[in-house]
Amino acid sequence: MHVQDGYLSPEVCIATGAIAAAAVGYSVYKLRDGVSDRVVPLTGMTAAMIFAGQMVNFPLGLPVSGHLIGGVLAGMILGPWAGCLAVTMVLIVQRFLFSDGGLFTLGANILHMADIGSIGGYAIVSIVRRFFKKPKVGVIVGSVVAAWLTVVAASALFCLEFRLSHPAGDFDIRNIFALMVAIHSLIGVGEALITAAVVSFVLAQRPDLILGQTSTSADTAMAGVSRVTVAGVVVALCIGAFLAPFKSNLDDGLEHVSKVQGFSELAHSAWAFFSDYDAIPLFSGHWQGLSVSVAGVVGTLCVLLLALAFGRAVSPRSKAVEAGRE
Amino acid sequence: MNESLARPRTFRSPCHRLPPLVALFLSVAAITVGMLLPPGHWPSHGALLCVLFAALSLARVPPGVVLRRLVAFLAFAVLFAVSVPLSQGFRGGWELAQGILFRGVESFLSGLWLMSVVPFDRLLAALRRLGVPAILLAILAFMYRFLFVLWNELDTMRAARRARTFDRAGLIFRWRNAAQMIGMLLIRSLGRSERVYGAMCARGWDGTLRTLDE
Repeated sequence: MHVQDGYLSPEVCIATGAIAAAAVGYSVYKLRDGVSDRVVPLTGMTAAMIFAGQMVNFPLGLPVSGHLIGGVLAGMILGPWAGCLAVTMVLIVQRFLFSDGGLFTLGANILHMADIGSIGGYAIVSIVRRFFKKPKVGVIVGSVVAAWLTVVAASALFCLEFRLSHPAGDFDIRNIFALMVAIHSLIGVGEALITAAVVSFVLAQRPDLILGQTSTSADTAMAGVSRVTVAGVVVALCIGAFLAPFKSNLDDGLEHVSKVQGFSELAHSAWAFFSDYDAIPLFSGHWQGLSVSVAGVVGTLCVLLLALAFGRAVSPRSKAVEAGRE
Repeated sequence: MNESLARPRTFRSPCHRLPPLVALFLSVAAITVGMLLPPGHWPSHGALLCVLFAALSLARVPPGVVLRRLVAFLAFAVLFAVSVPLSQGFRGGWELAQGILFRGVESFLSGLWLMSVVPFDRLLAALRRLGVPAILLAILAFMYRFLFVLWNELDTMRAARRARTFDRAGLIFRWRNAAQMIGMLLIRSLGRSERVYGAMCARGWDGTLRTLDE
């Protein structure tokens, strides 16, 4: 997930750094109001916890294994602002201790994981949980949805930054876009799975940590309007991620086509792939559309199934079974 | 690994005598130069890499450590860099991939040099002099302090899990187990932060961090 130095141009590094600094500064400002002496131990400890939690391997049956990213988890425990600070600290320490991620791309990494992950994740969870009568079910479904959406949105934002960094080059940005989004919708499923499993474990042991407001999130929660705005930005990035490879199949002159025509073009490019079936998908130039739609459908299905499964798992009946087993 | 990071090296070398701000500046300067060099220009990037390796050996960083961490870093960096040509069906993007790899390695080496030359707490003091908000530095210092405590706690939990031979279990069970380990770590660390907060308040904590060198 970490962007290394060399991916982004200096201008984009400066712009993302400025946005990230503004978000971190705003978080500090929001926390300064009354709880600042509590913020330090709670945020610092949570940051250390997420750092240590990232060391826990989730086997994939391959030489590589997955691990937690933790932005949504931090947002759910600490609230959006302290959560953003906690993930920012994790990224800074990773940069200085492990040289994980670049120095000039630190701003981009903070934007992707702390801002989208924690602030965006908090906004999505707090919106989703309102649709459920049982708070536990709502929180878990919200964490699944938020984890997946934030990872995919971060990858879309990275592609946008990459595109702005290298306007001309000997490569086709559409293919990079499709590869990144396809990979990250899988990573997002893993993150959703891990986050939901951790959250449901904590809900079973100490529900107050997640359902009750912790001292950093109590006075400093987000207003309803900004929640919807932040969540809207994340969702818009995701939609953009899945439409971009289709849209860029259009000719340059057709860039201004209306939405309706865009969708007909979308259907056309999907059809074109199937008519061109004998070509090797990876090199035929049509593979972006298919891989991204497969990734989108598979990702959405997985997220729905996960939400259902974890939602069922915390319903009172099965919890009694769990308690009996232990 | 935890031990070597927890205790900064106490070697005496010309690099270790540098003021933290100068070391920070030199490290940033090396990365900046790498960013400004043309992506695929081998001689200039090679020269910069030579300078960085010379700086590392001047700082008496054991070559084995550099090599081990560089290999671990390269495994991922190469994967990411190759993903650009890969997405093009290996028909383009090679120059960009070279640039990414060069700059990534330069940034990695200069970060490694900085960390082995300046202890983390002195780096924080230098950042404070640069005007970074005190609350951020306090959180960083707190996180750094408890990082190693939580790592040890995680090791204990892993040992306990191994003792129960859960490694033989199926994939789903191992995932659930790993998630429960993170959840347990979370519950314990939040409890610990409450206790530490109480102890800090008892010692006059008012939200500002004080250090001895002020």
